[in-house]
Amino acid sequence: MKDTPSPATSQLPPADAPPAAAAGGPAARRPREKRARRTVLLADRIADRVITVGGILVIVAVLGILVFLVTETLPLFRSGQMTGERRYTLPEPAGQTLGLGLDEYKTLAYALSADGRLQVFHARSGRLLTSGRLDLGSAPVTAQAHTIDRTQWAFGFADGTVRFADARFETTILSPQDLPTGLTPLGDGDATDGHAVFSAIPGDQYRQVTFRMELEAPVAVGDAQRAIAAMAYTASGQAERSVRTLATVDGDDRVALIQTASRTNLMTGERRTTVNRIQLPPLPAPIEVFGVRLTAKADTLLVADRSGAVFRYNLTDLQHPVLAESARVMPPRARLTAFDFLLGSRSLLVAGSNGALALYFLLERNDFRTVDGQSLVQARTFTAGGTAVHFFAPSLRDKSFATIDGTGRLEVRHGTSRKQLADFPTGLPLEGFRELVLAPRVDGVMALQADGRVVFYEFDVPHPETTFATLFQKVWYEGYAEPGYTWQSSAATDDYEAKLSLVPLIFGSFKAAFYSMLFAVPIAILGAVYTSEFVHRRLRGVIKPTMEMMASLPSVVLGFVAALVLAPVVETWIAAVLLAFVGLPLALMLGAYLWQLLPLHLANRLKGIPKFALMLLSVLLAAWATRALGPFFEELFFHGDFRAWLNGDVGGAAPFLFLLLLPLCALAVSILQQRFLAGLRQRPAGGLEALPRALGELGLWLLRAALTFLLAAGLAHLLAALGADARGGLVGTYVQRNTLVVGFAMGFAVIPIIYTIAEDALNAVPEHLRAASLGCGATLWQTALYVVLPTAASGVFSAVMIGMGRAVGETMIVVMAAGNTPILDWNIFNGLRALSATIAVELPEAVKDGTLYRVLFLAGLVLFAMTFVINTVAEIVRQRFRRRATQL
Amino acid sequence: MTGGRRAVNLEARGEPFLWGMGGALSLGVLMILGFVLLIVWNGLITFYPKPLRVVHLKDGTRLAGEPTRAETYKPPAQRLESLSPEERDRMRERGGLAHRTLYRIGNYDFYNEDFRWVSDYQVERWEAPREMVFVERVEWGPFVGVVQALTLGDTTLTGEAALGERLHAAQAQAARRRARIRRIERGEIGAINHRMEKSRLTLRGVALKAGEDSAAYRQALARGEAQAAELDAAYARLAAEAAALKSEDARYTITLADINGREKVQALSEIVRIYPANALNLFQRMGVYASRWWEFLSAEPREANTEGGVLPAIFGTFVMTLLMALAVAPFGVMAALYLREYARQGRLVSAVRICVNNLAGVPSIVYGVFGLGFFAYIVGAGIDRIFYPERLPNPTFGTGGLLWASLTLALLTVPVVIVATEEALAAVPQSLREGSLACGASKWQTIKYIVLPKALPGIMTGLILAMARGAGEVAPLMLVGVVKLAPELPIDAYFPFLHLERSFMHLGFHIFDVGFQSRNSEAGKPMVFVTTLLLITLVVLLNATAIFIRNRLKRKYYVGHF
Repeated sequence: MKDTPSPATSQLPPADAPPAAAAGGPAARRPREKRARRTVLLADRIADRVITVGGILVIVAVLGILVFLVTETLPLFRSGQMTGERRYTLPEPAGQTLGLGLDEYKTLAYALSADGRLQVFHARSGRLLTSGRLDLGSAPVTAQAHTIDRTQWAFGFADGTVRFADARFETTILSPQDLPTGLTPLGDGDATDGHAVFSAIPGDQYRQVTFRMELEAPVAVGDAQRAIAAMAYTASGQAERSVRTLATVDGDDRVALIQTASRTNLMTGERRTTVNRIQLPPLPAPIEVFGVRLTAKADTLLVADRSGAVFRYNLTDLQHPVLAESARVMPPRARLTAFDFLLGSRSLLVAGSNGALALYFLLERNDFRTVDGQSLVQARTFTAGGTAVHFFAPSLRDKSFATIDGTGRLEVRHGTSRKQLADFPTGLPLEGFRELVLAPRVDGVMALQADGRVVFYEFDVPHPETTFATLFQKVWYEGYAEPGYTWQSSAATDDYEAKLSLVPLIFGSFKAAFYSMLFAVPIAILGAVYTSEFVHRRLRGVIKPTMEMMASLPSVVLGFVAALVLAPVVETWIAAVLLAFVGLPLALMLGAYLWQLLPLHLANRLKGIPKFALMLLSVLLAAWATRALGPFFEELFFHGDFRAWLNGDVGGAAPFLFLLLLPLCALAVSILQQRFLAGLRQRPAGGLEALPRALGELGLWLLRAALTFLLAAGLAHLLAALGADARGGLVGTYVQRNTLVVGFAMGFAVIPIIYTIAEDALNAVPEHLRAASLGCGATLWQTALYVVLPTAASGVFSAVMIGMGRAVGETMIVVMAAGNTPILDWNIFNGLRALSATIAVELPEAVKDGTLYRVLFLAGLVLFAMTFVINTVAEIVRQRFRRRATQL
Repeated sequence: MTGGRRAVNLEARGEPFLWGMGGALSLGVLMILGFVLLIVWNGLITFYPKPLRVVHLKDGTRLAGEPTRAETYKPPAQRLESLSPEERDRMRERGGLAHRTLYRIGNYDFYNEDFRWVSDYQVERWEAPREMVFVERVEWGPFVGVVQALTLGDTTLTGEAALGERLHAAQAQAARRRARIRRIERGEIGAINHRMEKSRLTLRGVALKAGEDSAAYRQALARGEAQAAELDAAYARLAAEAAALKSEDARYTITLADINGREKVQALSEIVRIYPANALNLFQRMGVYASRWWEFLSAEPREANTEGGVLPAIFGTFVMTLLMALAVAPFGVMAALYLREYARQGRLVSAVRICVNNLAGVPSIVYGVFGLGFFAYIVGAGIDRIFYPERLPNPTFGTGGLLWASLTLALLTVPVVIVATEEALAAVPQSLREGSLACGASKWQTIKYIVLPKALPGIMTGLILAMARGAGEVAPLMLVGVVKLAPELPIDAYFPFLHLERSFMHLGFHIFDVGFQSRNSEAGKPMVFVTTLLLITLVVLLNATAIFIRNRLKRKYYVGHF
């Protein structure tokens, strides 16, 4: 809008045009134009356009925040999209398949048949790269097992021997000059030299992926005559010193655990393997073994029967392995069709011929009747398509898994969120399928048929683990005893699952806001009423701007003072702080009744600043008294140690209930008095002098106070006898950075806002209303209570709402003083974790476009929405109030 | 009413309620007063040199330190059992409470702690020897002890001679040497590094544009190599000079000993300040006080921000706030002009107005989220791809920085400016506009010559209040570019002088960082108080300026126009 350095500025022509035109005559030599100059019009038009477009743009930009936040969070809720479907047939039929594998980048795949044939092929085109034969010996393979990442395999033979194999994809990054010449293109930007696959990657580099599989010599692990029927395998340790644990079930249902420890001698390169065989307790009845699974730490072994019985061995103590549990995971007559661990081997997925698909957790709980106190518990079921699920491939990254059901449909689901990530009807018969593998990055799934046909789907699911339910509803995570709301976004281990429930954070925000409003609203509103109605104009001219200035105090300062100064003080003087909630009102009331003893003329003369000074003094006195009485109070109420009392170590429930009941009882007593004993005061109409009446009032108040205390004490003991206890609910374990401190600090932050807006609203009540009320003989107090407050109520309400909006979104105070523990409890002495604090702490570390990143954006959106709603309500109420106030 | 004939209706006076309300107000006032006093007092006394004490404990050990604060606390039960019976009785008399003092014992390189609590019942006696010195060092925090000897080149002084004028002169000289070494290492060698990096980037840019086989690349390569040789020579020269200075510097040392006689030889140039705390007169104390304030305001931070100055933070706050004001003023005023003067007033506009009002109440962290996601990751990454491909994958604008922080805060404060400007525009009487239009002025002329000048005080107030809010915000900055220690200031001598993409330091974040993230929050606490005092002063000054300008412009325009 500054782009009109108009020559028009020098003339303002229309303004002086009329007189010049009127003068006419010889003075006006050149004829005055009556039209506006073109430059003026041009400037006007430009300004018009610029301001309109610019203004709308600014407003749109500001509102665009909302749109941006929404677009950033929407991918969280998207399900998968297929990005490619490939079908091809391998040159040689797979027959009885032992294994299928796919590399991380979906370039190479291999298929291993029972006769040892190994075909390595390009995953996207199906072009065979190498084909070889592993020498598996003469005995037929009767069982196979592999680690979850399919890099280590074990094959069990009919002669009771086991052979280990190592299958690895190797990836190297090459610069263009290192690229071999004479490559054959494979399509999709890939090329091969007949052995490895080379793919162009960003940054002008190439990635070389090769595959090799090495078979070790046979190891005899059991009787030579017993074929191994089923196996489970886990490996740990480094290459030089590896420990492999193998569980076998042989034809006679004998279960054994075999540990082989290999050590490579660093000097000679010689490799020595020791085999340790542990015979496990026998199974209770002969079974038709379906599968065996070992956990990654090899501390639990599961043996599944086709009928759906699962036998669990606890192997924590290898000297004394126990058969800890026999559980049924299928209804009678249903047969087990799939059985495996998900990543982390703490969730067991089972599928049955009745179409059931369910997830079991191994949990430890006191009420379990098993030998080791653990039990398999069904955590959730999945809605399968009605037909039984037969193949099952877990993901290497998260809790996803792929399945093939009876109609040949290939599905990928997430085990925690139950989100269906992909659904591909292959159109192939179930009977033909031999193997299924999920790409390590959960972006592809490959299935192999007996005749060598391969289906390979690529898909893209940005955030498999989040749904509306995982974000806002109870989720049962593995390792937890029951479903709950959990926020835990990161941990040290790899197979860790991020738990991203926004509920504890929203709760935290509201908890902080609630307690701070509890502290701020009375002070701000009462203070505003007093300032607007009762305080001397001069004093008001000081207090109001001071309060306004406090509104712009940086919250980081408040957070710092709260956490490093206030929190230790409150911790040391916690009893005195509690006492202050009782002592302060008592002191003020006492001050009021003593003031009434003053002769009226004196009271009238002193009612300005001296009275306010007296009030200040009584607050200070009360503070001093509570500090002095704090230890005594703690001794009396909490056995001298409040924190021990909070932990439930000492003392009963009654003292704290008494404190809680005090305000309620005070209210009850004053209502009772109004109801039934009102006559007590009004009877001597005009008979008594001012002083005796005031003394009477004082006595009455003391009586009332005593009654309140008695009532509260009685009720508290009654409730305590009935078993009520605030511990574990409103109060509990004390931590230094707690909600009480946050309440104080945040209250301090919102008091000026509520105070200023409320005071403005009260001030906007037209003066003639007050004049009329006072003129009718009402006192100032009656006018304030019955005339001013009701008129300004909506304005005061909107002040509270705006304060609330600020408290919900306040960041630095909760980051610094709240302890940041994401828990759901109302304990005022415990910490909290607010939405805003979580964003501030975790977003800088979150990977762009990752799940945490988007969830934090969603947290921002929720915060935005909450404050926007609160503020809108406040704004609408305020506008209505304004309209009404001007009409009055 | 004095007659007492008429009923004195005490209930109608509502005195208890009045006291309740007055009490609430006085509590609020007291809280504010207490808060301000706390900040101001702690901020002001931090730099005042305190006397040093040597404390003899009952267990026979000694410690020396600066008493920082004292408090009453409740000793844990197992501690009570270790006391003698009469002491236990005395403590029981005091309600189980004990008194203790926090000593800043310094000598972190010896003790691995800076502070130590000493309870009164542990103390045998204490004294304040005059020879104790408080030494502020560049590294390891302060040293508390005595001066054993002073080595100046070939001469060694001991005893009284080691203190006094000679020491001060030598120390001043050493400080100059340190400054010179620093200038060489940071300034001149930094300039060489800068040119090397620039030449590398130019080469990479040519490679990206023309390819590595092109003639242009070979040419650039040759040029780059020539320049590199030249720079290497300059570097070697400077490095030699610095090494010479350093070896000269190593000849000037001071030997210090702690209270238990452990000696420490310290290069003089590593000493920031040394003073005999118990032998200072008021004038000397004020000198130390003033020099500490000057260091605070004019130096860079040391020791993980817990010592030294906050100049980069002051600078960052200032530049960011200024940029924010530059961004927010035109846009805010434009939007308000549109809403008030151009848009047809109706339901839509009043809905928009409510929205804009509400946006002023949206939590600042939400703006930070937007700033990071939109400005840094989308706009910034786009700028990087187009203008700085040679620096990728290191982001230039694609991460938090000064520009994005300013724009984020501008977005945060634009509703404040819009609302204030709108109110100011609405307060300009309609008759003025009508008068101007009736005289034949165009709409823009009316706005430019009549409405805007009249509304200017209000607009300025809104703008300054927005700046006050922006200067104190920390939460969004944590996401869009503020760092605990910025290696370079956003303004320097290299083209284009103002580096909008750099991360920066901020007073508010400095408070958060020193108070919460540093090794020892106790050591940082005094510093935090001073920084807080500075930040609050800044915010209050801005607010006061807003009020001042409002009043002044109001007067001026009332007189000047009508």
